[in-house]
Amino acid sequence: MNAPDRYERFVVPEGTKKVSYERDTKIINAASFTIEREEHTIGNILRMQLHRDPNVLFAGYKLPHPLQYKIIVRIHTTSQSSPMQAYNQSINDLDRELDHLKSAFEAEMLKFSRDY
Amino acid sequence: MEGGVSYARMPRVKIRELKDDYAKFELRDTDASIANALRRVMIAEVPTVAIDLVEIEVNSSVLNDEFIAHRLGLIPLTSERAMSMRFSRDCDACDGDGQCEFCSVEFHLRVKCMTDQTLDVTSKDLYSSDPTVSPVDFSDPSATDSPDNNRGIIIVKLRRGQELKLRAIARKGIGKDHAKWSPAATVTFMYEPEIHINEDLMETLTLEEKREWVDSSPTRVFEIDPVTQQVMVVDAEAYTYDDEVLKKAEAMGKPGLVEIIARQDSFIFTVESTGAVKASQLVLNAIEILKQKLDAVRLSEDTVEADDQFGELGAHMRGG
Repeated sequence: MNAPDRYERFVVPEGTKKVSYERDTKIINAASFTIEREEHTIGNILRMQLHRDPNVLFAGYKLPHPLQYKIIVRIHTTSQSSPMQAYNQSINDLDRELDHLKSAFEAEMLKFSRDY
Repeated sequence: MEGGVSYARMPRVKIRELKDDYAKFELRDTDASIANALRRVMIAEVPTVAIDLVEIEVNSSVLNDEFIAHRLGLIPLTSERAMSMRFSRDCDACDGDGQCEFCSVEFHLRVKCMTDQTLDVTSKDLYSSDPTVSPVDFSDPSATDSPDNNRGIIIVKLRRGQELKLRAIARKGIGKDHAKWSPAATVTFMYEPEIHINEDLMETLTLEEKREWVDSSPTRVFEIDPVTQQVMVVDAEAYTYDDEVLKKAEAMGKPGLVEIIARQDSFIFTVESTGAVKASQLVLNAIEILKQKLDAVRLSEDTVEADDQFGELGAHMRGG
């Protein structure tokens, strides 16, 4: 009876931004991004993609609490870049990779049904 | 930043098996985070259509209303159209009612048993207002004209005089909300194993010892070539990462006899669909959903800097 509705896990409530960020006040070129209504699916691919960027010194994410439906991604970069720039770069790269994967799978489907 | 360097990879795919409800393929040149994201999205975030509201007019069967409603919800419905349908929660055509043509599909069921023979009410007795959304057909195309082949999912059995009459509304949903909306029976992937046998150490074993070591694996990964008496790998993918052969080698005093590494950039996916969506379409839908999720989390012009932590001090620190 007091369990939260399941849709709360993936529907962003009205008046809440999907993504917001907070600059670190002690370390330069560091920021935390709060992503509402996401979990390990997005957090893990984002973190691993950020690790591949040589300008990123630190990238990690956490789910603060299982009943708080959000992830906090922390990024620390060199002075050549900025957390916002690295964040957008990683999303663009992931998008490109998924585009390529989709094309590869469709091409393979055509090839497979022809050979069959 | 546009036109700058890119750290995107170019994954490769090779399909091994492809049926309507089953697919097996290799995914290479990417890492476990992408493979796992795909697996998670296929299981819990690809939308399908399932019955979500049941109005029962007549039910004189032995099962109560709630039981029948629950069983109806679990019937897989063909969901090719689900990706373009609206969630009833977001539909503006029916003001959140969740009963218009854009966000729902209506079903009717009217069955009465008039004979002494027990009557099976199956998913085939459900009539849909939309022919593209109907209960999944489990008939075997190769078995013709067998009375057992006309197989729907049994909802309830009726005796003479018993009747079931109801109206059901099916809506779009995702597996994260309720498992009935999950299009996947199961999705798994395994790391491709790389197996290296130390031939020098292997030569120090007698044939009996080789046989004993080969048999220590619960699955048939290795075999002894009858001609050369050499141990060879017959099916690397049968390896279940149970370390049994490694423990046996140590027990025989031969640590390092074999080296088995899980490749970090090669995955073998197995996708089994409930029939709501074809297995191949399920993979493509998952990639599309993942791209949509990435678009949703992009920074935009209106992404604000959160200052809950500092309140008014935050505005001051930003020089506002």
